[in-house]
Amino acid sequence: MRTKRLIVIGIVLCATALRAAPDAVLSDRLFDDANAAFLAGDLARATAAYQALLEEGVASVELETNLGAALSRQNKRGAAALHLERALFLAPGDDDARADLTELRHSNVDRLEGDQEESGPDALFRFFAPLPGTAAALILLVAWSIACALVGVRLFSPTLSAHPAIVTSSWIAISLALLCGLVTAASAAAHKVALQRAVVIAESAPAREGPQARAASSFEVHEGTLVRIEEEQAGFARIRLQNGLVGWVALGAVEHVVPPRWTDR
Amino acid sequence: MSALDCQRGRTRKISKWLPSALCAVLLVSAAARADDAAQFTASVDRNEIGLDETVRLDLTLTVASKNDAGDLQVPQFRDFDVVGRSTSEQVSFAINNGAPSFKRTTVTSLTLSPHRAGNLTIEAARVNIRGGTINAQPITVRVLPAGQAAPPRRQGQAQQQQQIDPFAALDPFANHTLDPFAGVHAAKAGDYTLKASVDNDHPFVGQQVTYSLWLLARGSVSSIDKLELPKMDGFWTEEVEAPTQLVGEARVIDGVQMQLFLLRKRALFPLRAGKTTVDPAEVEVVSGMGMLFSRSAVKRSSQSIPLEVQPLPPGAPAGFDPGNVGSWSLSATAEPLSATVGQPVTLHLVATGRGNLRDLQLPKLPAISGLRAYDATTTDKAAIDHGQAGGTRTVEQLLVPERTGELEIPALAMELFDPTAHEYRTLRTQPIHLAVSPGTGAQGGSPQQAQNLLAAGGLRPIRLKLRPASIGAPPWTQPWFWPALVLPPALLLLGLGAVRAQRTLSSDPGQQRVKLAASAARRRLRGAEQLLARQKSGDGKGIEFYAEIARALSGYLGDKQSISVAGLTRDELSLELAARGHSQVTIDKLISLLDACDQARFAPGASSAAAQEAVLQRADAVLAALDGAKEEAA
Repeated sequence: MRTKRLIVIGIVLCATALRAAPDAVLSDRLFDDANAAFLAGDLARATAAYQALLEEGVASVELETNLGAALSRQNKRGAAALHLERALFLAPGDDDARADLTELRHSNVDRLEGDQEESGPDALFRFFAPLPGTAAALILLVAWSIACALVGVRLFSPTLSAHPAIVTSSWIAISLALLCGLVTAASAAAHKVALQRAVVIAESAPAREGPQARAASSFEVHEGTLVRIEEEQAGFARIRLQNGLVGWVALGAVEHVVPPRWTDR
Repeated sequence: MSALDCQRGRTRKISKWLPSALCAVLLVSAAARADDAAQFTASVDRNEIGLDETVRLDLTLTVASKNDAGDLQVPQFRDFDVVGRSTSEQVSFAINNGAPSFKRTTVTSLTLSPHRAGNLTIEAARVNIRGGTINAQPITVRVLPAGQAAPPRRQGQAQQQQQIDPFAALDPFANHTLDPFAGVHAAKAGDYTLKASVDNDHPFVGQQVTYSLWLLARGSVSSIDKLELPKMDGFWTEEVEAPTQLVGEARVIDGVQMQLFLLRKRALFPLRAGKTTVDPAEVEVVSGMGMLFSRSAVKRSSQSIPLEVQPLPPGAPAGFDPGNVGSWSLSATAEPLSATVGQPVTLHLVATGRGNLRDLQLPKLPAISGLRAYDATTTDKAAIDHGQAGGTRTVEQLLVPERTGELEIPALAMELFDPTAHEYRTLRTQPIHLAVSPGTGAQGGSPQQAQNLLAAGGLRPIRLKLRPASIGAPPWTQPWFWPALVLPPALLLLGLGAVRAQRTLSSDPGQQRVKLAASAARRRLRGAEQLLARQKSGDGKGIEFYAEIARALSGYLGDKQSISVAGLTRDELSLELAARGHSQVTIDKLISLLDACDQARFAPGASSAAAQEAVLQRADAVLAALDGAKEEAA
């Protein structure tokens, strides 16, 4: 009986692997082709191959970083910044993506004046995004459950309530749950900010005082500039720059760092 | 023959040839001097005529001396008859850099009628001047059968220029010159007519328009004073030709021989699209020769010229600069190609061609890892080539290698619009590879300098291994997360509640009675109160009232104080209550009340409602005193 169960499980796993294997092989081959084109200087072909992988639904730090570099070399700063930001969303600690983004921003048209470049939510994102939010949330659930169980034991069992092992374990579980709770809260806040982050992909876009094309333009933003989308209405997005400037730009001029397919939005 | 004879013979030969050689040298030198001082050219007004038409041959002699008149020798034309002849003369005098300059130009115009069809040659004319001879070049004219010749496309100087200019066929604008004298008639022209012309009245933004100012004179022209060109607002201008001397060419209009003078030629580069107008120019023409009192001056104005400047066509590539209009070539060189660390390498980026040189934007060198670039210097060398402004722009940039190995200066691209082809083009240079080797090291005991400076910066190399990342909504956005977080404490609270309930349910009944004694007694007193109310309405008896009061008090004493009233005498009851800490006053009141109830129950008589209410109040007071004393004692 036990042998039969193991055989069934093995067949199911093999079928799953066989179904996924061709996709992975094709993705690797396409990625290799794109890299070869990049190294040969055929940046247009490399970009097309990287984008084909994206359309296949592949999400990868390496893919986003390489695509950002290819676009950057073609002087397409807006799209390059977008994909490097996506790489940093997938792996906030990725050094290559951060270095390329820093290099790219040296040639940005927009220079923000006023408050410091990163303040408020952006600084929150920068500090808290690297935290292991998912792991912390799962550990929180486990630690919290154990802590509640140990407290129950101490309450309901007068004989075990004073046992040193029970006391120590309950305090450790409570402390771990609190720590993981803080990390989860910080990650949740950073995630919320990440969902608002966007990059200007149009070469230039007028920021208007309202969501109408005839509204007065108060300033202009250029490709590569990082913004936060606070609201969307009638084909326009209300954006906030890192120094606090706010305006409405056409939705097509900006693109979310986190694409909808990566979340349940 | 002796050696002396040989010597004599050689001497005789020398003495025989010497005068001839000297004459030849003198003649050649005279001709050379004549060539230096005079110019003699021949030109025709048309290269292709019909057999029934004539061609005009202009023989122009320009000399720089008052005394050199020259003797024109017209050949006997084998295939042409001379049907007309005229001569005009132009003299100019100017002082350049303090030195007087004289120039006399004599134009002899011959009207020739061909004998036959075919390619006919007009034989070369010659002029004898100052002992020398200058030959003009022979000219070939194609003669078509009568009635088949095309009408003359161009006239005047433009036609002449095309004929003598070997590069005119390459000039994209040469065939577009608008003839300023197309509508001029001799009868209306007057003595002097000032006309302006452009070679293109529908240029693109940034495309050259050649503006020319002509003077057509029937009389003599001594000099030009007060030449005022219009303000060229909306144009970038470059001087193409500004004659310092008046050199006219003969021109026949309506059969009248006239002189045509080019006064100024400028290149205009429109800066913006739309309709615009070049305003009229003004000039003061001085006529008369020799005596001052015979000179006179007249003012003339040219016509204004409308232009319609076209915007550049759509589809400009990314990175196109609107100043890059024209026909340009781009090249890049570096020198030296092999260098040591720290040794400067000069990059030359050169753009050559036709167009507005001042507005040309050359591509900028991007940051190159391992190469420190210094500020570039730009050098312009403007030139006029066949009437077209242009030149060479050279950008020199100093690059200093900072690390060893092979460094690449990438290909540079420049987008431009070619107005001739009406299309955008991309010029690219070739990548340049530099081989950088370590330097020779420190000298004179100074510390060793770094030879391979590896500065941070630049794009990182790409990654070669694809690792798919896990994406998805984080746990705290999942619907199960918060219930799962709340569930453990909820279970804990539930357990606590269950334990408490269990404890409550499993407690001592005696204790329950003790706790509930006061409330049970009060409930009974309220029951007695209801009995009293029913009694008032005639539906009850007083005995029941007193029985209920007695049950309330005895029940309380039994439950709370554990005293059985029925089995005790009043004295024993008093002692028991006193032992439980109750005051004697309360005890007396209780006993009095119990007695009153017993009396009413067992010896019934008339009992008023007021008395019953008083009993009820006393019972409440006694119960409160007993319960309060009990709690105080507790």
